[in-house]
Amino acid sequence: MLKTEELQINIGPQHPSTHGVFRMLVTVDGETLVDLKPVFGYLHRNHEQLGEVNTYLQNMPFTDRLDYFNSMVNNHAYARTIETLAGVEVPERAQYIRVIMDELSRILNHATAMGFMLGDMGAWQTALLWGMREREKILDMFEYVSGARMMCNYCRFGGVVRDIDDWFITELKKLMQGLPHYFDDFEGLLLNSEILLARARNIGVLPKDLALAYSVTGPVLRGSGVAYDIRKAEPYAVYDRFKFKVPVGTVGDVYDRFLVRIAEMRESYKILEQALEQLPDATGGFINPKVKQQSLKAPAGEAYARVESPKGELGFYVVSDGTGSAYRYKVRAPSFINLSALADMCKGYTIADVVVILGSIDIVMGEVDR
Amino acid sequence: MTLSHLATEDVFVVERNDADFRAGQGMTKGLGIVFRKFRKALFGKPNSDRADTEGQFNVQYPEERLAMPEAYRNMPILLYDDATGHELCTSCFQCERICPPQVIHITQAKDPATGKPVPAAAKFVLEYDTCMSCGYCAEVCPFDAIKMDHDFELSTANHPELDVDYNRLLRPVSYYETIAPTMWSDVKEQAMKKLQNNIKRRPGDIGRDHGQKIKGGAPVAAAATPAAGAAPAAGAAKPRGPVAAIGKNMSEDKTAKLLAIRAANAAKRGGGAADAAPVAQAAPVAEAVAAAPAAASAAPTGPVAAIGQNMSEDKRAKLEAIRAAKRAERGE
Repeated sequence: MLKTEELQINIGPQHPSTHGVFRMLVTVDGETLVDLKPVFGYLHRNHEQLGEVNTYLQNMPFTDRLDYFNSMVNNHAYARTIETLAGVEVPERAQYIRVIMDELSRILNHATAMGFMLGDMGAWQTALLWGMREREKILDMFEYVSGARMMCNYCRFGGVVRDIDDWFITELKKLMQGLPHYFDDFEGLLLNSEILLARARNIGVLPKDLALAYSVTGPVLRGSGVAYDIRKAEPYAVYDRFKFKVPVGTVGDVYDRFLVRIAEMRESYKILEQALEQLPDATGGFINPKVKQQSLKAPAGEAYARVESPKGELGFYVVSDGTGSAYRYKVRAPSFINLSALADMCKGYTIADVVVILGSIDIVMGEVDR
Repeated sequence: MTLSHLATEDVFVVERNDADFRAGQGMTKGLGIVFRKFRKALFGKPNSDRADTEGQFNVQYPEERLAMPEAYRNMPILLYDDATGHELCTSCFQCERICPPQVIHITQAKDPATGKPVPAAAKFVLEYDTCMSCGYCAEVCPFDAIKMDHDFELSTANHPELDVDYNRLLRPVSYYETIAPTMWSDVKEQAMKKLQNNIKRRPGDIGRDHGQKIKGGAPVAAAATPAAGAAPAAGAAKPRGPVAAIGKNMSEDKTAKLLAIRAANAAKRGGGAADAAPVAQAAPVAEAVAAAPAAASAAPTGPVAAIGQNMSEDKRAKLEAIRAAKRAERGE
């Protein structure tokens, strides 16, 4: 038999399929992957240190820049941490608005994440552009309420910065008329596509016990068959009032993660419907007027609050020494922790599968490096 | 697994469709959907309805632009009163303190006679290149002096230009009123009341000695321009008016085309104030464009004229000379 030599190559840091400045040091034997070392830090922005220098409010726009696809969710998670720390009450309407924004974020994130993954497979543009189209519609609405499309900076301690009005609700209902068509089209285009099946089925299998050992969360964990969703396991905001289901996979391969994300978009749609129905009127206000946003001081202590971000468990850990800024500030970023399982997911598959597996984890380097 | 606390009715297993695999069928179905979309995109009308998932969604920027929501925030600007020329800023340092990236730098004005601080800013520098557009400065300002602009076409090859000083930050209140009418009407009354109080504490020209609004050392006369004329005039004084920015690198006929599209759009929307102003302001450009084809028609006719449409005079002459030489060579 022919004796071949192992070869070490770099994929990235400047590579379109690494979804940012991320480097994979791979060892290949022929086309088969023997080892993979993820190397990151190219996008380090000192976020956690900045969080200890800034006041609590000043840090809010910086959280936008973590997972820049879902700044609304980041704001929500951060605001929830400081609210827990300082004991701030949030009006019900604000909770509903936050849920609406979170679920819209989830739809836009999954739509584009799946588009990008298919782009990595070679399904150039069609699937991605359909996702982008829906994302664009949602971003217009974010722009309307928050003033910015991606860097929303929308949440404040004890509420949100601006109330949603009739225009927003009308447009959201229109948007929701179109969404099921998009889901159907997307599924019809891809679900049984032989190319997708060949590239995704039984590729990048992450067994259940390994996923738990790596403390992987989000669609990656659910794709591996663990029914774990913070919205259900530890309902925050008003998530206990909605009826929705948690989709799980069976095998834990790329295809399962793909299916789980599509199913999650449909569940998010259900939550949106119920949230719009239950949305309280404006009498309760959209922000707690008692909170001094600019000079908020939290009592000494610590708090950890987490939300189910589209990528997994997003948590902020803040230690306060009683002053106006955090003593210690830590971000539990889902992309970063999900990425740690990459090497084990890739071993034994071909090098062409690596980009697909990476795409199926759905990482954002802004969150990985912080 | 014991990890899952979820009730079984809350969980469902996604369908993997393993049995459905038949070579070619799935792809044919997908291609059918793509073809349907493609047909709609080719023959459908452009649409902007959020409920639609078929048709044309493209916006031909920069010729076409989407309307911006009032809340849109890009870079901060400072406001001054049209009637008196007084700046609304009192240098209270609230924005400087809240600014997360710390890019606002204010120096308070002092009364030259007594040396005491006056509620006005002597210097105001904002680093546009480092600003993260969070909008906190506009949010905290108790005098509604700092607001977020809608102008996003700020690219420049000259980096130091992005340290914007007071003169270039100032916009008249009437300009802000055109970009965010309801947001301004909410705060207008109290902002103007506070300004009147501050004017009383400003000796001499302090608080209105910046910007182009009081050029020529006749502050009172220049500032007393009637409010009706103030809007377009101030727009012209603005360093980057929307039309100027777009037209900067554009050929004249493209500019004319763009203006026509905009005029049509404005007419369609019922001639909003925001649209009317730039069009009116661009009138001289339109005249210049109208004059250009006249000049072209005076030039030699035939194929040369067609080619030379966008050519300068000397280039056209040169081309003509080359052609004449070629003709002579061929012995015509």
